[in-house]
Amino acid sequence: MDQHIKKVYVPMTETAFFILLCLRKPNHGYGIVKMVEKMTDGAIKLTPGTMYGSLSKMEKDNVIRFVREEDKRKIYQITDLGLEVLQIEMRRIERLYKIVQEER
Amino acid sequence: MELKKQYKWFTIFEYEKEQDYLREMHKSGWKFIKVTGFGKYYFEKCVPQDVVYQLDYNKDGLTHKDEYLKMFDDCGWEYIQDYVGYSYFRKAVAEDGMAEEIFCDEESRLYMMQRVLKGRMVPLLVIFFAIFPQFFFHFFSTHNYLVAFFAGGALLMYLVIFAIFFVQYNQYKSNRK
Repeated sequence: MDQHIKKVYVPMTETAFFILLCLRKPNHGYGIVKMVEKMTDGAIKLTPGTMYGSLSKMEKDNVIRFVREEDKRKIYQITDLGLEVLQIEMRRIERLYKIVQEER
Repeated sequence: MELKKQYKWFTIFEYEKEQDYLREMHKSGWKFIKVTGFGKYYFEKCVPQDVVYQLDYNKDGLTHKDEYLKMFDDCGWEYIQDYVGYSYFRKAVAEDGMAEEIFCDEESRLYMMQRVLKGRMVPLLVIFFAIFPQFFFHFFSTHNYLVAFFAGGALLMYLVIFAIFFVQYNQYKSNRK
């Protein structure tokens, strides 16, 4: 993993985390917005400017890849590199969660 | 339909001011129609309403316009127009008073500022520096000092605007932490 990927994705922003999490199955930007809204009971509402910018940046970083277009919506899926950074991030969050539990 | 024209000047970096201006106009019953030329804003009379206006600067979006606008449309944002690299969107404030924005984290806000800096100012500055010295020599050698003065003034103003935004960008970047 190169330095740029490490710097941007370890740790990553909440937006990047949700995008990678949702793209373990092919989906488009708006699909991710809906999934995250449902997962968090409406607490997190991703917005189009952030989504569009993040998706194209993450595609350039090769953590997600373009699959096909459907009804003007670009469908993406996570790459092997994306899965790798997502695993690292999940372990990091698990560690934090454990600490929160112990310190409560 | 009653129409209204207003001249208003915003530099390329004052998109937040511009957003506020359009929102205030809508609140006082003037719905934004379009902007043309050198800051000529057109409005039509409407029922006063709190509507959030947002500007995005995304070249990638402009080259893939269909899918770019689809994303905003899906999320309930009305697209109005493009103007000097910016895309204009609006969305009414929800019943519960929640005013949405098109960016939801600091990283993406900062990333947009970067796009404005890179996409607009840097290429123009390069052109300026490549062409201006020749102009100066020409004006001075022909004793055209007045033209040299105005050309110099324009370049200076340009640099000042750029410098101010660069400072803002860096403040924003460090405040984020």
